[in-house]
Amino acid sequence: MLRHKYVVVILVVLLALFQVPFSLGADEKIIKIGAIYPMTGRPGLYGLDSVDAAEMAMEEINSKGGVAGYKLELLNTDSKLKPDYSVRVAKRYIDEDKVHFLFGVVSSGVGLAVTEVSKQNKKIFIGTDHASTRLTVDALQPYYFRVSNNTFQSMAAGALYLKELKQTKPWETLAYIGPDYAYGHDQWDELKYNLDRFGVKYKVVGEYWPKLSAPDYTPFITSIMNDKPDILVSGFWGGDTVAFIKQAQPYGLFEKTLYFHPDAGGNYELMSATGSELPLGLVLGARHHLNWPETELNRTYVDKFYKRTGRYPSYAAEGAYAGIYAIAQAVEKVGNPNDTEALVKALEGMKIKLPEDPEGFTSYIDPATHQIVQVQAIGETIANDKFPPAKRMLGNWKVYKAEDLLPPKEYIEMKRKK
Amino acid sequence: MDPSFIIAQLISGLTMATLLFLVASGLTLIFGVGNVFNFAHGSFYMLGAYLAYQTVSSWHTNFWVATFAAALGAGILGMMAEFLFLRRIYGRSEEGGFQILLTYSFILVIDDLVKLVWGTEYKSLLRPAGFSGSVHVGGLTIPTYNLAIIAIGLIVVVLAWLILSRTRPGRIARATAIDREMMNAMGVNVPFTMTLVFGIATALGGFAGALAAPLRSVTPGAGIEVIIDSLIVVVIGGMGNFWGAWLGALILGEVNAFAVALVPEWASVFSYLVMVLTLIFKPEGLFAARGVRKV
Repeated sequence: MLRHKYVVVILVVLLALFQVPFSLGADEKIIKIGAIYPMTGRPGLYGLDSVDAAEMAMEEINSKGGVAGYKLELLNTDSKLKPDYSVRVAKRYIDEDKVHFLFGVVSSGVGLAVTEVSKQNKKIFIGTDHASTRLTVDALQPYYFRVSNNTFQSMAAGALYLKELKQTKPWETLAYIGPDYAYGHDQWDELKYNLDRFGVKYKVVGEYWPKLSAPDYTPFITSIMNDKPDILVSGFWGGDTVAFIKQAQPYGLFEKTLYFHPDAGGNYELMSATGSELPLGLVLGARHHLNWPETELNRTYVDKFYKRTGRYPSYAAEGAYAGIYAIAQAVEKVGNPNDTEALVKALEGMKIKLPEDPEGFTSYIDPATHQIVQVQAIGETIANDKFPPAKRMLGNWKVYKAEDLLPPKEYIEMKRKK
Repeated sequence: MDPSFIIAQLISGLTMATLLFLVASGLTLIFGVGNVFNFAHGSFYMLGAYLAYQTVSSWHTNFWVATFAAALGAGILGMMAEFLFLRRIYGRSEEGGFQILLTYSFILVIDDLVKLVWGTEYKSLLRPAGFSGSVHVGGLTIPTYNLAIIAIGLIVVVLAWLILSRTRPGRIARATAIDREMMNAMGVNVPFTMTLVFGIATALGGFAGALAAPLRSVTPGAGIEVIIDSLIVVVIGGMGNFWGAWLGALILGEVNAFAVALVPEWASVFSYLVMVLTLIFKPEGLFAARGVRKV
């Protein structure tokens, strides 16, 4: 009998705990945001960083009294990195939780599935991290907006980098390695498209497609070394980059070939995981950098995130941070979170100052593609221990203007026709 | 293809194969000897990597000490899992299905525990002192750590084979697999044997995880990444056979290495193709030894 009593007590306590937010919410005006982020596996870090940064942004806004009389509230559910499961979550958010915005998503596969739900239900979906260009080109729908650069933008920057490199260090041959799914294939196609567009001559000597999250790259490495490319273009992300670099380093690959990884290579997790093992002189890019631009806004953002979580933010964090500010700014302008069509109008062309914006530039959302337009910085690994446990950070920056990185009209039309 | 490239790919395949074998060895042991399909074997591999990382970063021990600590830790946790949970479902008619459900739930629980303890950031270990460089033979570059792993794999396969086939505990373990009840009747402490075998198998998993840590990124979910390939190795080699697992891994590693070099666009298909062919033409596995498994 005693046991039953405990169970009852525990139930009452649990119920009481869950009751609190409801009773608080009763007389308060709330903007509900339904986030879907992976919380497990290799991409779990991206999910956790995104949620932490979104909460940080919400606290900043709520502590100043919220927007238009509303407070922001975030729900999060593990995407499990599965499109079908995430679709169910998105539907539940809309039908039962009555969210005003869908939010998040790390994998482009999940993003492409959730954008369909957003379209059918006319519910705005703010994309914060997934990078496949398809979402803002072939699969664009009126209620989707993306607040981080896509792979087309980073590959356009990459192509410009390679074009300039010809002048200082003449190169001829390229090889590519990237994960065998949309993200990996898109990057390679977009790089080649942009190289052609900028009139850069190159010869492809090898293409490799390991599975996503493959543990072992040794045969790929020896095969690439046999191809002897001047430049190895890489389309990995996350732990795959770490594993590849660790395995390739003792083979001396990086002394013979320039490692070039413009989309996700420069994410901080690589520096923190590899420490002093990370070779110098790798050329990497990312959607946000801890040490560039050296603006007050970026410094404050990075410090604040570090104080809050005890770790430095990956680029996924800045995407989520941007997403919350975009929502706040849109609601501020419209005056409520319910008028979807007016919110869409407010988001189209919105200017929004973000940590990754250098002096004199403000990110904006392109009304034609609903894609945020941002500057892209590509750097080289150099010794720098200001962000421990990293011993290398990026430096010797090359910065590419946002306007030069947009897909040209004929590219968008070609893709949409397909 | 020039000969030095063929040798380079052969050695690449061998490195990949040995790591595959080291993970698969525990899986095949527990499958063949304990008659348990441990879906969570990869999670013990992951735990091994984290334990090695923790040992090195907390006590600044030598890498090899950390590797053994990791194996020990994974083994103890494995024995606890067997003693507290798996033991309760032995002998039930639905045992097979329950085993999969239970060990699958271990994956989820261990993943979340790892996240609680170590967070989601990628952890990483340096290669041990003396093994960070590479040797150059002719035009070839071979990392010394890869050579060390190949050697360790060979030692494990020979040792395991000797213990299982030439010692009394090995014989008891194999006999228990064939008929638990008969061994019980003959006075063998079957529950204890099962726990011990499970512990050794998970220790092997932890050992493999620790050895792989300097080459891979240590993250939650790392277990899932290795379990499928290990399963293929076990199927190809014949369940419960150490030589089989080693040769199965070797086939898979080499097929992969040359597929990558010759038909990179289709490379990942070949490992599955090998498994399918094995299942069609020799479903008991290429090297299923006589008498090790029950009929």
